[in-house]
Amino acid sequence: MNPLKLVFKELFYRKVSSLIILVTVIAAGTVSVAVYTLSKASENETRKIMREQGLNLYIFPKGTNLIDFYSVNNTSTFPEHYIDTLAESKTFDAVRHLTGILQLKYPNWVDPNGSKHQIVVMGYKDEAMQRFLSKQETMGFDVEKGTVHIGALLSVNIPEGENFTIAGTDGKQYEFKVAKRLEEGKGMLDQGVAFNLTDLQQVLDMKGQINKIEALGCVCHDGRIKNARGQLQDIFSDLEVTEVSSIANARENQRLMMNKYGSFIIPFVLIVSLLISGLLFYSNVNSRKYEIGILKAMGKSKSYILFMILFKAFVIGLLGSLAGFFAGSFIAEYFGKEIFRFTAMSIKPLWSLLGYSVFIFPILWMLASWVPALLATQIDAAKTLSKE
Amino acid sequence: MLKINNVSKIYLKGKDKFTALQDVSLEVEKSDFLAVVGPSGSGKSTLLHLVGGLIQPDSGQVLFRGNDVYKMNSKEANRYRTKNVGFVFQQFHLIPYLTVYENIKIAETESERKNGKIEALLEKCALLPLKNKYPSELSVGEKQRTAFVRAIISEPEILLADEPTGNLDPENSKILMTLIKEFNEDGGTVLLVSHEPETTNYATKIITLRSGKRV
Repeated sequence: MNPLKLVFKELFYRKVSSLIILVTVIAAGTVSVAVYTLSKASENETRKIMREQGLNLYIFPKGTNLIDFYSVNNTSTFPEHYIDTLAESKTFDAVRHLTGILQLKYPNWVDPNGSKHQIVVMGYKDEAMQRFLSKQETMGFDVEKGTVHIGALLSVNIPEGENFTIAGTDGKQYEFKVAKRLEEGKGMLDQGVAFNLTDLQQVLDMKGQINKIEALGCVCHDGRIKNARGQLQDIFSDLEVTEVSSIANARENQRLMMNKYGSFIIPFVLIVSLLISGLLFYSNVNSRKYEIGILKAMGKSKSYILFMILFKAFVIGLLGSLAGFFAGSFIAEYFGKEIFRFTAMSIKPLWSLLGYSVFIFPILWMLASWVPALLATQIDAAKTLSKE
Repeated sequence: MLKINNVSKIYLKGKDKFTALQDVSLEVEKSDFLAVVGPSGSGKSTLLHLVGGLIQPDSGQVLFRGNDVYKMNSKEANRYRTKNVGFVFQQFHLIPYLTVYENIKIAETESERKNGKIEALLEKCALLPLKNKYPSELSVGEKQRTAFVRAIISEPEILLADEPTGNLDPENSKILMTLIKEFNEDGGTVLLVSHEPETTNYATKIITLRSGKRV
């Protein structure tokens, strides 16, 4: 008789005990999947908030006074190729989305009506791809050459369809197509114009120069700013990092806390469930001692008996992992939407977790049944079956 | 065919020693029907389990066709129990979640598997209409007959019966003993442990044990 059939028939015969073991697997699976999915959602939420806020680390020439930087025109600059060096560095990994910027006040811009205004001009270099880090979606401005993005306040003065004109340091008039009219709330850019870096360098006759690198600090356990500062100092001692502190910090702390709790809750629930299951398997073996005794008397080998118990654990582990995955994903989706505002719509089952679950849980539950299975092989058939 | 040489078995119960068998020897030929009788605790079942390869003796030998059963490796010992020995117990020990047919099928070896063999034996034992019933749906007589068919399905040379009629009424006892006798008459060897005189009447040889010794 096929031992698989024996396992399934026993499983259905002892419905209650099988069901209790299954419930422990489902509980462990549900908690693990839900907590992991929510911690991923929390991570995404933090990232999204940080992205919403824009790049949060600024790299300036050392000694730059930030008050001066925003109010005067002659801030120190540094070579544009620094950014390429950082992007090529193996050790500079505490920040992402490196964007080289040349940002200056432009005091006498003349609008199409002939009025003069002080505006901010910003030249954006395309975001640098860090060679030794995974590829990411770009965050900074991507301004094509020959075009500009104009700030909300400025766009009031430039009618639709008209080009943006600005006088260069060389006295020439430069004309750019308005590719985008930015919405309000872009900070300095509300009263400014975003150029492609090369275009602005030409207008201002500052070829190869930038005065700021904007970047996004990594989400690190040991503090992004400290890391970023150390790494930058090792490469360019004439630059320094300033962090734009924000609620992203609080969010990041929340995420780190979630990870911390997750790394405690998941193992705790798993261990408790495995211990309960181990005891239930032991009780199952005890209630089957006559059956195991008779199988031994029939000449069934120890491996046959071991297989019977372990395969049962495998089946329960497999079924429990599937149910636990879907239950955990549902719970994460249901409650996650309440908790994580920004990423609510993107909280979806992590399908890669299904693969891990169906692989790990049957193995864990086979391990939980291992000692009871070994005890089953040691059952003394003579003592069990004998009345004397 | 079966030779038991000076076997002894002592059980430890806490600090106390209990001598189940002491220097017991006997010889069983093919087609013998040997009844082992004696009072409760005399070592009858221990002797049966020793022959069945289930209990390692403390001393002595159990030889089957000249081979010491307790010097076999685990594979050979399993094979010995599967092919050469069939057990019938007083408590039936049927697997509760298997049908009558499946309880027998599980004991069937690959090599002895023949189409319709189980059905033929079930028919002979008046169990065929019950083949799809579970043990809980059977009477005690039907349960014991199922256990008997399970014991002989692999055509063992020796049938070891430990108080097989202990739970049966006289009518069912008679039916079972007739079936065991038929197995014996067909060339099978039977070792029967019993304290009921009616069942020992079927035996061709009787030995008596008292306090673990043959008397």
